[in-house]
Amino acid sequence: MKAFKIILSLLLVVLAGFLIFYSINASDLSTLLEDIVPQETMQQDKGLQKAVKRINDSLAEANQDKTLRSLNRLLEDFSDKIQMDAEAKLDLFFYRNNKVTLAFALFILILSAALIASALLKQQKYQKAIIMAVLIAMLYSGIYIVENLVGSNSMLMTVLKKGAIYALLAVSMNLLNGFTGLFSLGQAGFMLIGAYTYAIFTIDPASRAQVYQYYDGGLVQFTLPVMVAIILAGLAAAFFAFLIGLPVLRLKSDYLAIATLGFAEIIRAIFQYDGLGPITNGSNLLRKFTTFNTALFPFAVSGICIALIALLINSTYGRSFKAIRDDEVAAEAMGINLFVHKQLAFVTSSFFAGIGGALLAMYQTTVQAAAFTSAMTYEILLIVVIGGMGSISGSVLASFLFVASSEWWLRFLDNVTYIGTFKVPLLRSGFRMVVFSVIIMAVVLFYRKGIMGDKEFSLKRLLEPRKGGKRRG
Amino acid sequence: MYDFINANLPYLLAGISVGGQYALIAIGYTMVYGILRLINFAHGDVFTAAAYAMVYMNATLPLYISLPLTIIFTVVLGYTVERVAYKPLRSAPRMSIMISAIGVSYLLQNLMWYITGGLAQQYPTIPWISNTVTILTATTKMVTLITPVLTLVLVLLLVQLINHTKIGMAMRAVSKDFETSRLMGIKIDNVISVTFVIGSFLAAIGSMLYFTNYTAVTPTSGAMPGLKAFVAAVFGGIGSIPGAVIGAFIIGIAENIIKAVGLTTFSDAFTFALLIFVLIFKPTGLFGEVTHEKV
Repeated sequence: MKAFKIILSLLLVVLAGFLIFYSINASDLSTLLEDIVPQETMQQDKGLQKAVKRINDSLAEANQDKTLRSLNRLLEDFSDKIQMDAEAKLDLFFYRNNKVTLAFALFILILSAALIASALLKQQKYQKAIIMAVLIAMLYSGIYIVENLVGSNSMLMTVLKKGAIYALLAVSMNLLNGFTGLFSLGQAGFMLIGAYTYAIFTIDPASRAQVYQYYDGGLVQFTLPVMVAIILAGLAAAFFAFLIGLPVLRLKSDYLAIATLGFAEIIRAIFQYDGLGPITNGSNLLRKFTTFNTALFPFAVSGICIALIALLINSTYGRSFKAIRDDEVAAEAMGINLFVHKQLAFVTSSFFAGIGGALLAMYQTTVQAAAFTSAMTYEILLIVVIGGMGSISGSVLASFLFVASSEWWLRFLDNVTYIGTFKVPLLRSGFRMVVFSVIIMAVVLFYRKGIMGDKEFSLKRLLEPRKGGKRRG
Repeated sequence: MYDFINANLPYLLAGISVGGQYALIAIGYTMVYGILRLINFAHGDVFTAAAYAMVYMNATLPLYISLPLTIIFTVVLGYTVERVAYKPLRSAPRMSIMISAIGVSYLLQNLMWYITGGLAQQYPTIPWISNTVTILTATTKMVTLITPVLTLVLVLLLVQLINHTKIGMAMRAVSKDFETSRLMGIKIDNVISVTFVIGSFLAAIGSMLYFTNYTAVTPTSGAMPGLKAFVAAVFGGIGSIPGAVIGAFIIGIAENIIKAVGLTTFSDAFTFALLIFVLIFKPTGLFGEVTHEKV
């Protein structure tokens, strides 16, 4: 078994090597073009000359999208005149799918490394870590490959990007509502702080005069690196949460809910206040800040943040949170400092809500305080409920389902549809959200535990459902 | 002095008027909270739905029919919400019921958006109460004068109902102790239904008065008055009807004073700041009863 794994992994390394070799080798498009386009035909055909010239021009510009487009046109328009042998075909394939191949090769390398590791390290905990590593590598390289295949602006990628951001927001809210039992409705407020902090510090200095046109170009005249700005967004939200938490966390369940909701509204009003205009641009849009252009970015940031939250929940602090949720009085009697732990959960949750807000700002490319209403908090709360209060994987799963159905799968409900001459009743703008909220109400009323209840997704339970784990009610 | 009154009277009048309208909504919150310990997040949307019902019915029916029909519609809606969304969760944790309330609010807003197409609708002019009148120097609508009077009359009637009828006695008993009153043979579900019916009835009246002043109706236009009315209920001491009314008037007037000073952006924020202030320093509100948590 050990030898088999090592041999297999070596084979995989060789395969990856081939892929990398070919991708690098095929990257010289101009020589490739000389091979496949016969010189004599090119002399006679003006159109062909133009097409080749266009490719060479865009190559000189180092504009990859344009190069690929012109290459595709060349291959379509002049398919009869181009001579391709098998080798040229292969080279061309590798050129056109360069990124995908490299990502795939990288994934194979990780897979073989994991195979070697699993052959050498026998302990259970290493085995688990290896499986996790492979799954994560699979996820990220999969996203990268899919993105390059279907294009960054397709519906699938939009859903994935937004889903990743909502997953972080939902998990951070779950930390508070599901794990610590604090019914807080301030999420939108902290997202707003995060989104604004990020946006303010990453607007391009050249565009500031244009963005802050009513406030003489604004006060902040420098930009921070993206990662610094994102962390700052989290810290700003956490700082406000700390201040708000001091008085509010003494309150009991529904009073806490309404007080945090109130704070979110106050924050919204402050950010729209004209007097702060030089910083927040008053009630106007903030735009022209740095955004992301690949889905890997939100996935990476959310992934790291969710992993950190998971670590926190599985630590002593996390167990104290759950104790507080289950019985406050008993937890206090066991020596858990209620206020410190509640404050910790509140600040941490807001920190990640702030980062989520920053990501949301990047996703939307513009931010406006007026959009961060309590309805936004409710949406995230409903995601948490659908996923299951107290389940991280449930929240993640529910976020993607929520975003996919609201943005994509249920879209058809919004369009007036005819079957033959028969007009399908009810279908028109807005019906999607009605159906959607009915589904949510059904979950809330009849399926109160949500998708995952308070359990986590586990491979073991999935693979051996009868044997694995104790049955819990 | 005269100039001062001259400049501020319109704001004061608007404050009293909107305060009365908040009071009518706040009673719905405070009664439901008193009995179910539930913040009925959907109450603000029931209030909006009443406005839409009026808009649509008034388009085809004469006023003397559409007015009572609107009230009936709102009452039925409030009753249905309770039966469908809250009754099945009677024994569930409080958080579940609150989430259900948020879900209902989400559903009602989306439903109203679907029916109306999301465009702002013009609230019909109700004759007489929309007439303009001049008080001293301020010009205002008749509704400004009627609201506080009507509010007080309705509240007095309600207090009579609660203090001197059998159902009122049942309500008081249930809000004191849910379980014991059930053991005493009070039909809890009926009492709760009556509470929702009364709350929705008052919300319907409140919506007629409110939207005569602010005539644009959108699916979310009830959310903010709803939240403010809830704040009023907390401010006055949740569970207490006179408290809710006084709290609502204070909030309505304070909000308009802030507008008069020129800080319109903060008029909503002020309400919530007040709420947090009250919750921290006097969580039971002005007239609330002190309860102790039992282990």
